Amino acid sequence: MSERDALYVYALLPDRAGAADGVTGIDGLPLRLLSVPGTGLAALVHDAPATPYQGGDEQVRRWVDEQSRAVTLVWERTGGLLPTTFNVLVAGHAPDTGTDGDADTADGAGTAEQRLTAWVTEQAPKINEQLAALDGRCELRVEITLDRTALSADDTGADAADAAAVRSAGLRRLLAKQQEQQSRQAAERLADALHAGLRGRLLSVADDLRDRGRTHRAPQETDVLCAALLVRKDEIDAVGTLLSELQAEQPAVRIRFLGPWPPYSFAETPETARV
Amino acid sequence: MRCGVTAERAPLRPTRDPRVTLDDLVEVLLNKGAVLHLDLIVAVADIPLIGVNVRAVVAGMETMLEYGMMRQWDEDTRAWAERSVRRRGLDLREGESVVCRMSGGHLLAEGIYTGWRPGTVHLTDQRLVVVRDEPREVLWQADLDAVRAARLEPERTVGGEERLRLRVALADGGEALLSAQEPEKLHARLTDACAGRLDTPFPFRPAVEEEPLHEGHLWFHEPRRGGPLWRGGQGRLTAAGLVWKAPVDSRPALVVPMADIAGVERSAGYGPAGEGTVFVVRTTDGGEATLAADDPAAWTERLAAARPAMGTG
Repeated sequence: MSERDALYVYALLPDRAGAADGVTGIDGLPLRLLSVPGTGLAALVHDAPATPYQGGDEQVRRWVDEQSRAVTLVWERTGGLLPTTFNVLVAGHAPDTGTDGDADTADGAGTAEQRLTAWVTEQAPKINEQLAALDGRCELRVEITLDRTALSADDTGADAADAAAVRSAGLRRLLAKQQEQQSRQAAERLADALHAGLRGRLLSVADDLRDRGRTHRAPQETDVLCAALLVRKDEIDAVGTLLSELQAEQPAVRIRFLGPWPPYSFAETPETARV
Repeated sequence: MRCGVTAERAPLRPTRDPRVTLDDLVEVLLNKGAVLHLDLIVAVADIPLIGVNVRAVVAGMETMLEYGMMRQWDEDTRAWAERSVRRRGLDLREGESVVCRMSGGHLLAEGIYTGWRPGTVHLTDQRLVVVRDEPREVLWQADLDAVRAARLEPERTVGGEERLRLRVALADGGEALLSAQEPEKLHARLTDACAGRLDTPFPFRPAVEEEPLHEGHLWFHEPRRGGPLWRGGQGRLTAAGLVWKAPVDSRPALVVPMADIAGVERSAGYGPAGEGTVFVVRTTDGGEATLAADDPAAWTERLAAARPAMGTG
């Protein structure tokens, strides 16, 4: 086997000639389309050794940046694709190793190209169905928090009882703590109500919404909603309008609005569910 | 609920600037996207391959782990965390000895990151310490002399489970909330270690938690662009109103303040819980929420009782 006997897979997509022309991926490697005959599908790949990429933080961040740029460029050319996660590598498989009597061709022996082609062929109906569901749609990321320092007394129902009037430093700290706790609880209740309202409004525009973890948060902020949205490309402004209305209604709201990206959070293949 | 915003507002524009979005992309690309047949591939976002800080970037991982999401990652990460724990103990002071230790965490509420930080809770005969395993850092500690009170309090997790947390009040008016693998044991040992010095009444007001008038599993027919979708979750009716939350959502998808409830009625037809299980809560702004329960009568009766002025159908 050669040094590069594996395929690093970026995405599965409709087979459009030229979609990968001039596109480079991780470490500037040129990407190519591996057409899967008879399915109308292709895989966006580069040739790679059969070892996962690993490295330090900055290195990984750079690779992720390169991968997402490449996928986004091809996605914009084709209108739809199923992006894969980082480090999805298909290796060639010698006939004698790891046989488990499985007749499934996808598990069988062959070069990386043969194995990937066999798997895509087998999964083609599901992949095509999913591509159709995602066609013309993008992923947007919406992160909403409440800045507790910007909440009005109306919002928090805070006691006007003035901690400064208390003489004992210990008691003052205690009161301050209690006020902080009250303001947190009030923010929690407000965040619940804002979340329910906003979620409903977003779902009237988006095709799907998934709660996501958050990557940014300041200490004085309370989470309201952090979600990936699946949105038709011509509805991006409708989401943007909802968010600017929210900002106008509740000035203490802080909004991060990211995208549009290929639909990473909505690209599970049926095999994912099986895991 | 507010509606009828008439002023035309310029829509916010999403950003794709990598200087802003790279952390999010890292999280997404390590965690999301199509996964090929597992037998086919060499690696899928295999955590141990990735640098420590990148892992920390993967947002709210501790929280997600705690709430049992990302099960695939749990085992890898836990195994890794446990290995780290074995490698690193607590640097003891002279004459200090360990009473007990267990995995746990500290709720950071004032630092750069608000949330649970996992590590190991060490109780010694001198201190209560929470140490992060890797990179090693004392997340929180207090001398036992400074501990004024300790109390177990239940916290409802996002998944709807109740977990006991240990709240500790300090002499300087500060307090801390700790999680622990065996909270009762930690509380008992801490009380013993502080022998007689703890104030019996906890000096802080307990979290205001409304007594539920009714709660239990409830289906919500969530309106969506493509048509409503039945989703399972937890319903909770208090004097403040009706709240419904799905275990996978971070916050409730339905919050109806009691004052906004205009009526409740049973609805014919099938819900996910069977025939005749569906009921509709109408709101004063003309909206409605369709719900279903195994015990629809109990819900509608209690909703009606909680708000005697409203009509029942």
